[in-house]
Amino acid sequence: MSKVYNLEAGEKLTLTLLYVPGRPWDERDIEVNLNGPGAELDLAGLYLCPDGESLDIRVVVRHNSGACLSRQMFKGIVGGKSRASFDGLIYVAQDSQKTKAYQESHSILLSSEARAESRPQLEIYADDVECSHGATTGYLNPDEQFYMRSRGIPEQEAKRLQMISFLAPVTDRLDGSTRAEVLDILSRM
Amino acid sequence: MNQELKDITGQEYKEGFVTEVEQEYVPKGLNEDIIRMISARKDEPQWLLDFRLDAFRKWQKMKAPTWGHLDLPPIDFQDIIYWAAPKRDADRPKEIDPALMETFDKLGIPLHEREVLAGVKPKESQVAVDAVFDSVSVTTTFRKSLSEKGIIFCSFSEAVREHPELVRKYLASVVPVTDNFYAALNSAVFSDGSFCYIPKGVVCPMELSSYFRINASGTGQFERTLIIADEGSRLSYMEGCTAPMRDENQLHAAVVEIIVEKDADVKYSTVQNWYPGDAQGRGGILNLVTKRGICKGSGSHLSWTQVETGSAVTWKYPSTILKGDNSSSEFYSVALTNNRQQADTGTKMIHIGRGTRSRIISKGISAGHSQNSYRGLVRVNPGAEGARNYSQCDSLLIGSKCGAHTFPVIMNSCPSATVEHEATTSKISEDQMFYCAQRGIAPEEAVSLIVNGYARDVLQRLPMEFAVEAQKLISVSLEGAIG
Repeated sequence: MSKVYNLEAGEKLTLTLLYVPGRPWDERDIEVNLNGPGAELDLAGLYLCPDGESLDIRVVVRHNSGACLSRQMFKGIVGGKSRASFDGLIYVAQDSQKTKAYQESHSILLSSEARAESRPQLEIYADDVECSHGATTGYLNPDEQFYMRSRGIPEQEAKRLQMISFLAPVTDRLDGSTRAEVLDILSRM
Repeated sequence: MNQELKDITGQEYKEGFVTEVEQEYVPKGLNEDIIRMISARKDEPQWLLDFRLDAFRKWQKMKAPTWGHLDLPPIDFQDIIYWAAPKRDADRPKEIDPALMETFDKLGIPLHEREVLAGVKPKESQVAVDAVFDSVSVTTTFRKSLSEKGIIFCSFSEAVREHPELVRKYLASVVPVTDNFYAALNSAVFSDGSFCYIPKGVVCPMELSSYFRINASGTGQFERTLIIADEGSRLSYMEGCTAPMRDENQLHAAVVEIIVEKDADVKYSTVQNWYPGDAQGRGGILNLVTKRGICKGSGSHLSWTQVETGSAVTWKYPSTILKGDNSSSEFYSVALTNNRQQADTGTKMIHIGRGTRSRIISKGISAGHSQNSYRGLVRVNPGAEGARNYSQCDSLLIGSKCGAHTFPVIMNSCPSATVEHEATTSKISEDQMFYCAQRGIAPEEAVSLIVNGYARDVLQRLPMEFAVEAQKLISVSLEGAIG
């Protein structure tokens, strides 16, 4: 079942989604419709799959009206035998001019049995638009680890710091106790 | 729009003429007898006929793919003539019909070796050409000087006769018969194409090229090309194509296979200029093509460059399987659609070997009522340690009735691999146009200037002869896009 949000003219929605162990992953299928000029979406998501989870996130953002803005930022860390996929579509309807739509999705793989998939998609039928998406998958940078370890920071702690900084753009949006919950999970990854 | 502009726009497609030449055909339709007939005309050995029949039987059980972002007109496979060839003159069985010679002359394809050898043209611009007219190869130039170096460059049919062991070894080794619906169809009915073998350690002294021309009406063209670059060899290969203007859709379903052995380097460039249909979307070539290469040995390299301006529908994904350790591949593409054209094109990079690298640069330009999609897959298998991919897919929209789409898929199963993808969509800004207008550059010219600048990253990868043509082609294809 997908959860649908409808934004009319001038409405703004800020949403932060968490997919971490210990919480229900109920909003995995999201659809946001920007129906009137001036509507704005600011969406961020964070996923942690430390063991053997299987996660499929699907986000559809529809610019049905012109002069709307949408931003999306997803960050995830996948370890163990987990599998995570992000499927994000930005749809700009014909005549939705002056649209601005941005999407970013980044993931990090921690183990050789983990898998990450990204499907960032753009479907655009108007010309006066500014749209972009970026997707990366990678690993924790060994040079950074070496830098920290040569200064006396243990390997495990160095990795944790790397993960904290990687997730910071999303964790900064969380309140204190939720952030603490996320950091706690990180220290066990 | 002033009169001059209208005149230029009216020129549309200058390769759209028909050559009046007597042709022979096999009957319309597709069944096992037709396949036997094609095979018999080409004097093929039993194993190849068996290959075709096997492919045909498998094809019959397959369904046409529908996942493309395309509105494909229904194709009646029984309403196509699968083999057409210009008749050989009984008096001059060895010579090329002057009408054909004239056709290729008109298209700017040099079939005269003499001119170059006599010094009329500079030697550096030597290009060996395999010219394919409908279902047969008309001639292959420079075969002699190439064979001195051990290079085999000939039509596919000749290769079957003269080098069956090579053809048998590599045919369908990269694109299996059942890879997809159109590849299976091609395997059953393929007519002619080029065959190329570069022996160990040989650097091919000139560009090799194939030129495909559809002439006969009611036919389809089923090109089959096989390129093998043995250890340490180097090759630059170019492909071009055109067809007459007609109100019917014609099918071009090709299969190209490239095998790159250890430390070999292949550069494959295409300028695709099939007839795109008219402004209302009548006619045009349906270009449904499977192209794939394998970097088999370590350190091998395959580079794809394509400029796609023609065809009513383009469905094409030149791909590379990076099997050898430290092998690398690139895909540079400019796809331009105008009027009612549709393109769904991109690439697949499959990383299997350690330390494999790939790079994708795709530039889409849509104008008029066209739809232009990039579709791609980057897959990193578990053992591909240290693999690296970078993809950039940009779209440029001209006009408010066209569409630009990006459908990339990234699958990473290797924790030491890095995959990056970015895409942007934009239009030509008022500022850019104003800047040009201020300097006395007319709007049409300004658009062509800006688009050529936008596509420069790709165009500069083309061999020189092609780059000039591609730039002109982009300007012509854009005519009438703004007004």
